Amino acid sequence: MRKQFLVRLLAVLLGFTLIASACGDDDGGDAGDDTSGDDGGSDDGGDDGDDGGDDGDDGDDGDSEDTVDVTQGGSLLDTILDRGNLVCGVGGNAVAFSETQADGSITGFDADYCRAVAAAILGDATALEFVPLTASERFTALASGDVDVLFRNTTWTQSRDTTLGGDFGPTTYYDGQQLMGRVADGFSAASSVSDVDGAVVCTNAGTTTEKNIAEAATLEGANFGGITLQTFEDFNQVTDAFIAGTCDIITTDGSGLVGRRAVNDMFDDWAIFPATPISKEPLGPMYRQNDSVFADVVDWTVYASIILDELGITSANAQAFVDGYEAGVSDPQVGRLLGIDEGELQSSMGLPADAFFQMVLQVGNYDEIFTNNLVPVGLERAGSANAGWQAGGQIYAPPAR
Amino acid sequence: MTDQQTTDVAEPEEETSNLPPKVPRLPPGEWMKKNLFSSVGNSILTVVFVLVILAITRGLLGFAFSPERRWDATATNMRLLFAGAYPQNQFVRMWVSLGIVVALGGLSTGVWRAGGRMYLTSLLLKGYGVGGAVVLVGILAPFSGSARLSYFLVGGLLIAASFAVQSATDEDTTVGTLAVGLVGVSIAVGSFWVIPYGHHAFIDGAQVVSDGTVAATTKGPLTVMVILAVLTYFLGREIADRVDAGWPRKVLSLSWLASPVVIVFFVLRDPDFDYGHIATTEVPIFLAYAVGGGLLLFALASPRIGEVGRIIAAVTLIAAAATFLTPMLQVIRILALMLAVFALAAPTFSGNRAARLRYVTVWAGVVLGLLWLITAINSPATVESNSSFFTGGLALTLIVASFTMILSFPLGVILALARTSNMPLFRVMSTTYIEFVRGVPFITILIFFSVLFPLFLPENMEVTEIAAVTIGFTLFSAAYMAENVRGGLQSIRRGQYEAAEALGMTTAQKTVFIILPQALRVSIPPLVGQTIGTYKETSLLAIIGLFDLLFVARSLIPNQTSFIGSVREQLLFASVIYWMGAYAMSRASQNLERKLGVGER
Repeated sequence: MRKQFLVRLLAVLLGFTLIASACGDDDGGDAGDDTSGDDGGSDDGGDDGDDGGDDGDDGDDGDSEDTVDVTQGGSLLDTILDRGNLVCGVGGNAVAFSETQADGSITGFDADYCRAVAAAILGDATALEFVPLTASERFTALASGDVDVLFRNTTWTQSRDTTLGGDFGPTTYYDGQQLMGRVADGFSAASSVSDVDGAVVCTNAGTTTEKNIAEAATLEGANFGGITLQTFEDFNQVTDAFIAGTCDIITTDGSGLVGRRAVNDMFDDWAIFPATPISKEPLGPMYRQNDSVFADVVDWTVYASIILDELGITSANAQAFVDGYEAGVSDPQVGRLLGIDEGELQSSMGLPADAFFQMVLQVGNYDEIFTNNLVPVGLERAGSANAGWQAGGQIYAPPAR
Repeated sequence: MTDQQTTDVAEPEEETSNLPPKVPRLPPGEWMKKNLFSSVGNSILTVVFVLVILAITRGLLGFAFSPERRWDATATNMRLLFAGAYPQNQFVRMWVSLGIVVALGGLSTGVWRAGGRMYLTSLLLKGYGVGGAVVLVGILAPFSGSARLSYFLVGGLLIAASFAVQSATDEDTTVGTLAVGLVGVSIAVGSFWVIPYGHHAFIDGAQVVSDGTVAATTKGPLTVMVILAVLTYFLGREIADRVDAGWPRKVLSLSWLASPVVIVFFVLRDPDFDYGHIATTEVPIFLAYAVGGGLLLFALASPRIGEVGRIIAAVTLIAAAATFLTPMLQVIRILALMLAVFALAAPTFSGNRAARLRYVTVWAGVVLGLLWLITAINSPATVESNSSFFTGGLALTLIVASFTMILSFPLGVILALARTSNMPLFRVMSTTYIEFVRGVPFITILIFFSVLFPLFLPENMEVTEIAAVTIGFTLFSAAYMAENVRGGLQSIRRGQYEAAEALGMTTAQKTVFIILPQALRVSIPPLVGQTIGTYKETSLLAIIGLFDLLFVARSLIPNQTSFIGSVREQLLFASVIYWMGAYAMSRASQNLERKLGVGER
């Protein structure tokens, strides 16, 4: 009698486990962000070093899967054209780069580049699915094919490029770690790391910003007394501590500092220095390696946005450029990029001839994307590394011919 | 929800006089003298602590009402907080879901004839208290003159109204608690139509703020909900009057149990069924299992089948387990296992022809329900949102919490029974599991299920992160539930077991009909505590980066360009939401305990 009961028990237990596990096969992975607190708009380069090893392993797995994928189905580009939408990995909680708005939409600099790629491939900037990813899960998501491309203010580093099974596209935003101090304490834009001797420096915990500032302090040499480093869970707390006076100096990527200064309306009271950042943080797209066709599409979408900016073609006047185009009279580069000249090169890339016309029409050129998203938080193009190459910046694209 | 479900475990007592015994009240002056200033020491303590409380309240109000607070961030992001990125044009589905819950609540209240009466004086006392509190807020908060005045006005009006009612009615007047609740909710919802709280929205990329009352898309549905609650309440009463109360209660309990599944997979997700595929695959499977399995069960439920039946049932189980050796549709395996469970349980339900037919009908219903559910889950969602899971915010919190509660309760009971079983293997297995789970920090389990669990699955099987962490929540919560239930099991006297055995009950009958009902009644307070704990623990979803209420409040809103850094407001708002849910559950369980007389018998 008892045995019979227990057999039943076992069966019920099994049944429940199965049902529980069956409740699963749903719509793919989910999204989110990390705990280490991505601060305003900057890549906590942080997870680079620490996660490098783990992600490397995952990357390798994904890589082999990817190879199989490529041999079976050709480029990811065909898959995207078949599927009819682009799956783009973003942060979802990075100020000005990818914000989740009140209506659930995702906006920002990175989000606009996702739209740009979708517009170029599919002719529709809304044929797009955003997948918000945490800093630690982004590379796994890319390697496993959960996302087609990653625009998640990811810093291009040697370890990431070589171990994660992915490749980086052209840098869309040159960031770098800087420090911010109070003018009242004698800091100015001309200050340097040697001036923060003995100061309480605050940043978010577990990121490379922490390592970078410690290294920078070490490099100052023997006369430098050292700094007191305080770390917080999240950059909102760091800013609050700075306002409260707990911290003399706060440090993170320059874009984040500028944003905080603008929001708190402290342009004259808070100084950001040194002019040359203490670290290099080139942010750009990332895609799986060994797929040149798709890589070219992403790269040239970014390049086209830059070239169109150089040519002064915006979402507002793109149509006028097309209408007023006369072969042999107008700039042939414009004709090729907008797909109205015989010599256009988009078709040979597997894109529609008007790919970049649609991109600039629906999303905008580099300057528009920058102005729409980054200027509102106080970031300026002029005079920064993100100015065009003719203006002394580093935003540069190979010629379209 | 859980409270509603457990209500039917109770022997519902008919409407006896629910009035609490009347406590003689002292006049305010004497009451204060007796309770607050009875001695010099007590007087000092009273004064000191009143000052401390006032200082804390002042600090809190100063924080909440400071002009620096960006409450417009919360107001603009209401939809994100409540439903995540759920698409706006499909939002009516959210309201329909709420409507289902409200309608079930109204019907249950009516059918169970819940709600008693309370003395008007105790209500008026609350009126004085709330009025006084409003005035106090007006004094302490950092308001401008006119705002302060309006608080005084509202508080004064409340006190005056309470006083007027008190002097107009006599002391023994009673009022229905439901009526009081309805009036309260109506005033709250009605105020949306009258008071210009202001309306904040994010429309087509721009923040729109107007000074009027809140949008009709909010106050309209809320008003409908109130009306729906009233209508379904009276409908429930009508049903209870006309029909034998037994089966409406059963139907309602089952509806509560099924409501999260229906809401999540059918209302919110709106699965896109492939009817061609269903006709060629699911329908034949259903017919095969319903008819073939039904015949088998009909035979097995025969009282005369004896040992042969047990052997057949065991063979069914082995066959079901064997389905995992060859590749086939997952649903065939699951149904085979379910059939084995039904076959093994058949002797317990054996009886005359009618009883056996009923058993077969239940089986067919289970097959239909399971097939429907699995097909729905595997069909793509029609509702597309801007992230891979279709909803977030409070909705996600509630989905994970309710699924955890529903799944972990039976699992916990099974674990508790296994742990108290006489069979060493089960005892050791269950004890090991419970002690292992209780010895590991919950966040570890959560990270395991979020990151590693997918790697343990068969190659072609995919599980969403939400489903994976819900399994983690369930397994964790079940271990604690098991300990709570075990406490209840151990409180049952030996005589109960012996009496049941003396009646010739099988072990299963003894457990289901004698032991568990008593054990669960005793376990209600810790079980509710566990449920509330699970509800609050869902906030750990934010740690692993899922878009639950806390994540939206902590990470999404403070990182919007317009509301950068506004994290404190959101955290305060989120904690109020969590508190309201937890407090409601706690009150419901207190009512339930009172009704079942826990701790009195």
